[in-house]
Amino acid sequence: MKKLLALLLIGAMTLSTVACGSSAPAAEEAELEAKEEAPAAAEEEAPAAEEEAPAAEEEVSAGGDAASEITLWTYPIGKWGDEATVKGLTDAFTAKTGIAVNVEFLAYADGDDKVNTAITAGQAPDLIMEGPERLVANWGANGYMVDLSDMLDDTDKSEIQAAPLAACTAPGGEVYEYPLVMTAHCMAVNMNAFKEAGADQYLDLETHTWTTENFIKAVEALYAHYNDTVAAVYCAGQGGDQGTRALVNNLYGGSYTDAAHTAYTWNSPENVKALEQLKSMDGIAFDASLAGGDEIAKFYQGILKMAFCWNIAQQLDPNAAGTGAGLTVTGEEIEFMSFPSETGESKLQGGIWGFGIFDNGDAARIEASKQFIKYMADSEATVDAVKAANYFAVRSAAEGTDLTAIWADNEIMDEYQVLMPQLGDYYQVTPGWAGQRTAWWTMLQKIGSGTDVTEALTQYEGEANAAMAE
Amino acid sequence: MENKTGNGKVYKIISLIILVVLAFLFLFPLYWIITGAFKPPADIYAQKPVWWPSEWVTTNFSNLMNKRTAPMWEIHMPFSRFFSSGGESITLATGPTVPAVFRWLLNTIFMAVAAMFLTCFTATMAGYALAKKRFRGRSILFGLIICAMALPKQVVLIPLLKEMSAIGLYNTIWAIIFPTVGWPFGVFLMKQFSEGIPGEILEAARIDGAGEWNTFATIVFPMVKPGVGALAIFTFINSWNDYFMQLVMVSSNVNYTISLGIATLQAETSIDVGMLMAGAVLASVPIIVVFLMFQKYFTQGITMGAVKG
Amino acid sequence: MSSQVTQKRSQALQRREDIAGYSFMLPSLIFFAGFVLIPMVICIWLSLTDSNMHTQGGGNFIGLRNFSNLFKDEVFLDALWNTFVIVFVSVPAVTAFSLWVASAIYKLKMPVLSAFRCIFYLPVVTGSVAVTVVWKWMFDNYTGILNSVLKTTGVIDTNINWLGDEKYALWCIILILFTTSVGQPIVLYVSALGNVDASLVEAAQVDGATDLQAFWRIKWPQIMPTTLYILVITTINSFQCFALIQLLTQGGSGTQTVMYYIYYTAFKLTEQSGHFGYANAMGVVLAIFIGILSAVQMRLAKEK
Repeated sequence: MKKLLALLLIGAMTLSTVACGSSAPAAEEAELEAKEEAPAAAEEEAPAAEEEAPAAEEEVSAGGDAASEITLWTYPIGKWGDEATVKGLTDAFTAKTGIAVNVEFLAYADGDDKVNTAITAGQAPDLIMEGPERLVANWGANGYMVDLSDMLDDTDKSEIQAAPLAACTAPGGEVYEYPLVMTAHCMAVNMNAFKEAGADQYLDLETHTWTTENFIKAVEALYAHYNDTVAAVYCAGQGGDQGTRALVNNLYGGSYTDAAHTAYTWNSPENVKALEQLKSMDGIAFDASLAGGDEIAKFYQGILKMAFCWNIAQQLDPNAAGTGAGLTVTGEEIEFMSFPSETGESKLQGGIWGFGIFDNGDAARIEASKQFIKYMADSEATVDAVKAANYFAVRSAAEGTDLTAIWADNEIMDEYQVLMPQLGDYYQVTPGWAGQRTAWWTMLQKIGSGTDVTEALTQYEGEANAAMAE
Repeated sequence: MENKTGNGKVYKIISLIILVVLAFLFLFPLYWIITGAFKPPADIYAQKPVWWPSEWVTTNFSNLMNKRTAPMWEIHMPFSRFFSSGGESITLATGPTVPAVFRWLLNTIFMAVAAMFLTCFTATMAGYALAKKRFRGRSILFGLIICAMALPKQVVLIPLLKEMSAIGLYNTIWAIIFPTVGWPFGVFLMKQFSEGIPGEILEAARIDGAGEWNTFATIVFPMVKPGVGALAIFTFINSWNDYFMQLVMVSSNVNYTISLGIATLQAETSIDVGMLMAGAVLASVPIIVVFLMFQKYFTQGITMGAVKG
Repeated sequence: MSSQVTQKRSQALQRREDIAGYSFMLPSLIFFAGFVLIPMVICIWLSLTDSNMHTQGGGNFIGLRNFSNLFKDEVFLDALWNTFVIVFVSVPAVTAFSLWVASAIYKLKMPVLSAFRCIFYLPVVTGSVAVTVVWKWMFDNYTGILNSVLKTTGVIDTNINWLGDEKYALWCIILILFTTSVGQPIVLYVSALGNVDASLVEAAQVDGATDLQAFWRIKWPQIMPTTLYILVITTINSFQCFALIQLLTQGGSGTQTVMYYIYYTAFKLTEQSGHFGYANAMGVVLAIFIGILSAVQMRLAKEK
């Protein structure tokens, strides 16, 4: 009996190594012995795990040298979500340094959960690519990230724009994200539809701006023509919420947080007015079945005539579908626009993306990860890394390579520059950021389903500020 | 009297019509998956649903295949971390790089088959013991099993994750398989089956001097075989579909299952419905084929266990 | 004297039963204890602490504070209510529907019967993710086939936002759950009805009982064990709706359930994320809820 069981387990183990070999990077298992609760069934497995502990320690003691293999988890930032593109970049890095890079691709819908699960399991990736609101305000603040300030010398600091660098720096001065690219988030309109409905007269295509008044007229014209929803205040989740935030805040000049980033200021007369205006418009639906990505999809499909979740990467490759820059699936023309405001001058939401390193307690892996960041974000290879992201570089030059003109040959990128001066405050690092995002989309859902605007704003602003207090 | 049978007939016809309609409704999602997988982009992106593909194309499948790649298999040297100098496990052979969906399918099949064998093995023995052995603590154990049966895995999510990480199984297929095997429904089912074994036969075997294991292997097992068959298929389907464990326990593309892979693609590109449907075809057709092949044993099996309950 | 011998013998016998019983149980117990019982015990312990993703170790003991907070948490109360609704709607609905289908088809000829059985079983084997992905497309607000059909047939004038509207979303989820749950009960009922002693039914009909009366008096008691078994498995099934929630609504539009909220609290990126004590407290509440349900069902089973 027992023999049979033992045989079975051994057989199982052998199989496990056969079929699911790439189990996990060695590390973190050192605490194994402490875990008395490890079930009996696992006893047979335990030796396999235990042996990893000394191995991991060895690596630590070997510090200074770089590990030969690292893991990078990346969110879909432009073509950084595309396997072939990323493979080209990492292969070049491997060829130069001999360090292999295992890449995993995350989605915005559940990427955060995956990272948190991995952290809990003690197997966070070495490198992660995302923005300060996650890397600095959350994982950094909770002590999972490596301080990268030693990577920044005075030349770097002079080359990198001050605003994105400040956003990547924690209040204590630690730099948890090495910024690579940035952009201004905007909105987009379907020009064919606008022309058909006679709404194109409300757009200033020279400056790509429009006033609130014209925006309202345009929606009315579109609705009169199509008799259907033409734009959606999407709120199925937090994905793409920068669009709804910018829309609401700019419409009548409201703000999202106070200037010092110490409180959320949703419940202001301007925001109430904006939300009431949006809710009263027939052409605009508060849609709790769409998140930002879905909204883009519907816009790309030609169903929605406006998208609030837009930026230059979308303009270059709408819906990441590869069917042509600035065109919907049926070939209709897309124009990017600033968000409407009373004056036409808006405060756009910035997007900043870069790399962070998770502190897995392994100096060799951290060293290798730093080499990776240096290579991607501050070397002659940075041009490719930036271009892959489809955004603008955060720095003027990298190790002598000029980065200011890398998009000069691209008409759309060039034209998009008109929006960059409108970049507003990067308030995404306000404390409680991750928590308040849920409050925001839940509030939009409530308003959509009939809750009074002021009431909803009061309740969820309260929740957002409570999240800050945590 | 006649009137009554007449009514009965009308009722029968009406109910049959309703049934046929319902059957079509139940088939519809599958129809929508399969046609969706072969529709060209124009149909997929059409603002009005297209009932029948205007043209049958395989681009959705090729998009799916080009999306992610993975080595088809990797054979690692067992325990090699123990003696390799770098502390890395030694890979003896790595398969050719193929579209990741094939690796996902392979993982899923491996997972479902392993879970199936382990569950059948453990549950048959345990079910027999619970039904036929009057050992002390039996009723307490059975009570625990009943209580744990309906427990969704979310309840033990955090402890289980930490445990898997502690024993080095996080991000391996085993972290999905073992909890499936531990789920006590199989034991419950096999207990129901084993109840039906006549005590006299076991008694006779004992008098003949047969050992416990012999009795089990030669007398009990053949008698509960239909139950084992049912349990096997049941476990296979269940673990194939156990999306939650897969979501939490594995993080690498190469360890994904097909369900998890498709769900991840949906999260990334909710727009490319055609590609998602192609994925859904790959995720569902193999298991539907398995079901149709073993359908007879399956229906026999599940009914026997239940009716005896 | 002799009674002592008997006692000794029976003790020896008992020991033998113990050894044999536990040896046979052992493999199963290892898995059951390792991956169900022990995590459950840890879960109960953690629910009494402020354990957190960001702090190592087990956290501090805080008594029942997590639980008292839970019952002040509106989201959790909503989630509990929705979970309750899902179970108490889908279990009776599935049971009644499958009984009706089974009684309508069990007398049909074999290939037809078997075809029906297969068709109703297909959504079960199609797999939760595949099913969810296709339903999401069918329920789509703008391009879904459901809205399109209802509009062309004139049932509705404007699109219904099935998954985005609090009025409908939970019911859509229950509907999908329903289609993936009726397969097995139908199979079970078909064979149970087929096993009902036909002579008893005939005798009742000779006595002048109507079909309905014959059903309630003769058939219903005989298929009672099957019904109970179906109640048990359908209840289990109803708690497995995680994939639907995660992939369709992420807990929005009034579809939050305890199962999803546990995951949300544990791993979604929020300031409360990684509040493991709190998430485990929800797990314990859910387990108690399920325990009561199982106990009631078992009591019913004994009473019959």
